[in-house]
Amino acid sequence: MVKYVFKRLALSVLTLFIVITIVFVLLRQMPIEGYFDNFEKLSEAQINVKLANLGLTKPIPAQLWDFYAKLFQGDFGTSTRYSVGTSIAGIIAQKAPLSIQMGLMSMALSLLMGIPLGAAMARSKNKFWDKFGTVFIVFINAVPAAVYYIFIQLYGTDWMHISLLFDRTNWITWILPVFSMSLGSTASYAMWLRRYMLDEINKDYVRLARAKGVVSQKIMMRHVFRNAFVPMIQYIPASILYTISGSIYIESLYSVPGMGGLLVDVIGRQDNPMVQTLVMLYSAIGIIGMLLGDLLMAVIDPRISFVKKEGAR
Amino acid sequence: MLSLFEGRKRRVEDNISAAIQGAPSQEIDKSLFAPAQYDEQASEKTGFSNYSYWRSTFNVFFHNRMAITLLTVLALVLLFTFIQPYLPGQYEANTVYNNPVTGMQLQNQSPSLTTTYITVPEGTLLMGSAIDDNWYAVTNVALTLKARQAFTLLEYGEDWCKIEYNGVVGYVKNNFQTKLKLPADPTATPYESKSNFPISVYEEPVDYTNGGEPLYAEKASLRETGDGKVITIKETALHSIPSENPFLFGTNNIGQDLWARVWSGTRTSLWIGFVVAFFEAFIGIIVGVVWGYVRRLDRLITEVYNVLDNIPTTIILILISYIMRPGIRTLIFAMSLTRWLGMARFIRNQIVIIRDRDYNLASRCLGTGSVRIMMRNLLPYLVSVIMLRMALAIPGAIGSEVFITYIGLGLPVDVPSLGNLINEGRKLISSASLRYQLFFPAIVLSIITISFYIIGNAFADAADPKNHL
Repeated sequence: MVKYVFKRLALSVLTLFIVITIVFVLLRQMPIEGYFDNFEKLSEAQINVKLANLGLTKPIPAQLWDFYAKLFQGDFGTSTRYSVGTSIAGIIAQKAPLSIQMGLMSMALSLLMGIPLGAAMARSKNKFWDKFGTVFIVFINAVPAAVYYIFIQLYGTDWMHISLLFDRTNWITWILPVFSMSLGSTASYAMWLRRYMLDEINKDYVRLARAKGVVSQKIMMRHVFRNAFVPMIQYIPASILYTISGSIYIESLYSVPGMGGLLVDVIGRQDNPMVQTLVMLYSAIGIIGMLLGDLLMAVIDPRISFVKKEGAR
Repeated sequence: MLSLFEGRKRRVEDNISAAIQGAPSQEIDKSLFAPAQYDEQASEKTGFSNYSYWRSTFNVFFHNRMAITLLTVLALVLLFTFIQPYLPGQYEANTVYNNPVTGMQLQNQSPSLTTTYITVPEGTLLMGSAIDDNWYAVTNVALTLKARQAFTLLEYGEDWCKIEYNGVVGYVKNNFQTKLKLPADPTATPYESKSNFPISVYEEPVDYTNGGEPLYAEKASLRETGDGKVITIKETALHSIPSENPFLFGTNNIGQDLWARVWSGTRTSLWIGFVVAFFEAFIGIIVGVVWGYVRRLDRLITEVYNVLDNIPTTIILILISYIMRPGIRTLIFAMSLTRWLGMARFIRNQIVIIRDRDYNLASRCLGTGSVRIMMRNLLPYLVSVIMLRMALAIPGAIGSEVFITYIGLGLPVDVPSLGNLINEGRKLISSASLRYQLFFPAIVLSIITISFYIIGNAFADAADPKNHL
């Protein structure tokens, strides 16, 4: 197991390295106009001075070398365009907690809503809860999030008599953003849990348990639910880690000063050091989240093992 | 097991005896029991079933009433987006419309305003003048007082005050906009008053204007009474534009027809959806099948996938819009370039599940080539899941166009799409009377995406042979 983890981590570092290098090179292909607010008004000399200051006049391999040399000293650099001169670690440390807090709250809420909904749907196939849940899932999956987020904001704030914008100190303004954020994952938790539970319900051991006369409630909780939840547990660590990235829509609709949209924003402003750091952060989160998910699944369900996988067939 | 066999044997015997008893008088045809001769043609005869995969698929699909309804809706919407520009009385999507009399842009005219702004009863006297052969510009503003012009206030009211100026008796609005100057006890009339702003004096305590601008009525319902006045000869609808063709969805904030824009946008979005979904499926299926089936490439493609998946889409979108001119083609290219990844991974996972099933092993042992196995053994098995993914790819592409517009990388405003219409509408939501500019595109978008989603699911169910009867 330990060997397997190390092997995967080593491979992840390689992947990360390639991703960052590609992004680094791509960023250097961006138009140089993007580095200036008033490109037309500047003389050529001024432009060259600024580009030299940004370290963009050197050949790309040399820039790449400088970047990695700094990175290995634990220096992520400073923002060049977004908030000039501020250390990137500082910016992230300032913005991330709010996004994480909001993300965790919405995740807890979606688990709290999605799991009972999914379980109710599986238990009452083709009855009220199943139909209700199906309509909900179809709606959430089919309608673009931007649309229903806007409507929730519009009518929610009207109904609760609060301002359209988020205020960190006023807990009432947390409700709508957290609720809207949780809807998407509520639908997917409910959909998958229903699917997995129905698969389990049709299995022989459930039939046996029923034949033995085990109470239906107990079959559902002890047998079906526990087995059905295993494939879902895989995505939980990644979801927890990804809360750091925030939600672009929610944070821009409610003006939440979090991480959502930060990446898009800094790409738009061509703040290269920040783009690189954020890409690195998100890629690492994705890779680690996947690894943790696999490990968690193996821990929860002893039948799953990654070590023997290569030997099969 | 034995008892089961006994049971069946007994049942067969019962049946035979029942048959004999039921038809005792009939002679048994002896020739039926004669031993058969060897016949080469008869030995070639095999069991025959008229099962056809696609016929059964469509059969099951057409029994799903919900899906059929939505398919009809979708087909009508699709048809309508194409014939809409050729219908009579349509406006242009990108033309800014002005009020023909005042020359002002017809900004933010909500749909209810452009059809019938207000209805006036028969016999109402209005100021009116003909603007062309069929339309009159009418208003019930008798005169407009300059700012700080003193007048006599005859009767005080919460909404309307009766005033007299220069021998003319009329009504002025009493609200925060007119800011009438009032004494401590405003009901102790009459007294001298004035307003700090220019104010309109109406003939009746009712406003027959479009925020001060004249309204329009058809000639047929009016009669001229001389000195620039008209009287309505029947109950008359006043319009905010001198035209029979209202702006069905109103106008946007620069005076463009929202109805035309919504349909033009639907056309654009559907086109983007179809093309992107096609490329997504095309590239995704090819890569996914190779990735899943060819073991030697699995490691390599997985690593390439991990790398590509971690490169932010935004960087690619920005770079492409920098290299190419912004427009529909660029957007389609950029979206196709990024969206096939998910499809490829999905197909790969499906292929991995079935690639080592016994029928494929048998095929391989018989020496079937890889390409033939992929085309003949693997892909037909996946038709239903691929169909589902493709049907979902269309609303997915439309939704991601909305997202791309939202982060500011979408189509320019002069190429209406549902994405940029929603984005334009979103900016106006703080004002309740302008929310219709968000509602209309959002509703059309939702109808389209939900229809595709449900039809896709129904078709995937139908394409699964397990559901065939």
